[in-house]
Amino acid sequence: MSSPQRARPLLVRWWEWLFPPGYAFLKPEAVGLCYLLWWVTSRVFPQWPSPNHVVALLCGDLKDPVFTHALLGSLARMGVGYVLVMVLGVAGGILLGRLPLIDQVMGSVAVAIHAIPGAAWVPLAIIWFGKTEQAVIFTILLGATGIVLVSTDTGIREVPPMIQRASRTLGAKGLRYFWFVVVPAAIPKIVEGLRLAWAFGWRALMAGELLTSVSGLGQLLNQVAKAQQLDQLLAIMLLIAAIGIFVDGLVFKRLEHEVRVRWGLA
Amino acid sequence: MQVALKHVFKSFRHNGSTIEVLRDINLTVEEGEFVCLVGPSGCGKSTIVHLIAGLEQPNAGKVLVDGQPVTGPAPSRTVVFQDAALFPWLTVLGNVEFGLRMVGVSRVKRRTRAIEYLKLVHLSKFLHAYPHQLSGGMKQRVAIARALALQPEVLLMDEPFAALDAQTRAVLQNELLEIWALAKPTILFVTHNVREATGLGDRVYVISARPGQIRDVHTVAIPRPRHAEDPQLLAHQHRILGVLGEEIEKVLQEELGEQVHFPEAQHETPPERSMGMHI
Repeated sequence: MSSPQRARPLLVRWWEWLFPPGYAFLKPEAVGLCYLLWWVTSRVFPQWPSPNHVVALLCGDLKDPVFTHALLGSLARMGVGYVLVMVLGVAGGILLGRLPLIDQVMGSVAVAIHAIPGAAWVPLAIIWFGKTEQAVIFTILLGATGIVLVSTDTGIREVPPMIQRASRTLGAKGLRYFWFVVVPAAIPKIVEGLRLAWAFGWRALMAGELLTSVSGLGQLLNQVAKAQQLDQLLAIMLLIAAIGIFVDGLVFKRLEHEVRVRWGLA
Repeated sequence: MQVALKHVFKSFRHNGSTIEVLRDINLTVEEGEFVCLVGPSGCGKSTIVHLIAGLEQPNAGKVLVDGQPVTGPAPSRTVVFQDAALFPWLTVLGNVEFGLRMVGVSRVKRRTRAIEYLKLVHLSKFLHAYPHQLSGGMKQRVAIARALALQPEVLLMDEPFAALDAQTRAVLQNELLEIWALAKPTILFVTHNVREATGLGDRVYVISARPGQIRDVHTVAIPRPRHAEDPQLLAHQHRILGVLGEEIEKVLQEELGEQVHFPEAQHETPPERSMGMHI
């Protein structure tokens, strides 16, 4: 049994929420190893910038208004795109799971869309929307919605037989059965899909920004590459990786872990 | 409510072949009676529960409750499953309220009733716990409260205590008898444990290996609480084990494809030792 909740300072509880005991999303030894490898590489190849230099450069960048503007632009686009992905993916997946006839047709379409990498949508997005904000969001949408659709649909259709039987003997049927049994039973699958969708969406965002000239991290990447600034390029790539890892680790991995424990899957 | 199966046959399609699970089952459970079904694993005991619950339909024959054929599940016939089958996303309270919510009982009423039944199974301290935080025995208590909260007239129990350790099982068996004495629902209790069946039931049906057929019916006319060493009880267990031994041998032969003998010694060791505990 879990011990009763004791009153603890908010900061402590917040810290424990971020880094629960026995659960580390970033292993210090892994970070240390990466740093060491990078450092050795920079010693062997003099043209390769050292990790300290790149980190210092990134810290400097974060104070530059042009850079922060690009960063916030990327995050805002990702936010908008991701909310749309969530809504469309979950609602669409529930609809697909609920209507077997549509599922047969649309299910394969969803799988097909899911099979196309996010970056491959960028040319189409540019033709439709021009090199605009909408084109980037469109790219995120098509790069990430498929996985949410497919996993939600799977979750909806794979309610454990024991749960089906138990709920039916307790009088669950029709729409009530759907909302109170099928949908909650699908939540682990839905969360799994949402977690992957974040990663897919983040990649699609970078591809979209690289190829359109909308101000963002992807476009900065393009600029510094053209200017042959290797150290700046690495600094931006480091930031992109860090954001990806932190959001996945602090939000999605946690959420997935908690859901799996409660649903008795972990 | 009286439950009756009349000439019930049931088979399933599995990988293109047909498996006959039940053959010509005739049984009755009178109103307020506590009846146990005992048989080797895979003999179709669970299928009988599913038929009465309305989760399955027979291929032939009739499943009657108070003379009316069963067409589907109903809140007057609830089930306690072997693995509890609780809803992991709901708290203990939420699980017990679930059935009441499905039949449209108001929020306040269902809460009071759920708490009442959780008190009955001694879980009032765990109303807000989630199933994953509970032990196997506690989960079964929740499952029992959940099934009772709908105030069913027929309570079907499908090996509810099979996965529990011996002590927990004994405690829950006694509590079940107490609960039954209070509300007197009609109970059909499925088990593979002969000692459990004779300890609990007014009558015990012995089912054969697949296809399941009724081999024997015992009326255990011993007043409760029954003493484990009661010679009459032991005599019943001895006779049932004699029949079951042949059936278990059949299962082993079918599974292993050779002559295997269910050790005769098991029939002769004093029943208070191991006999019946794991059959």
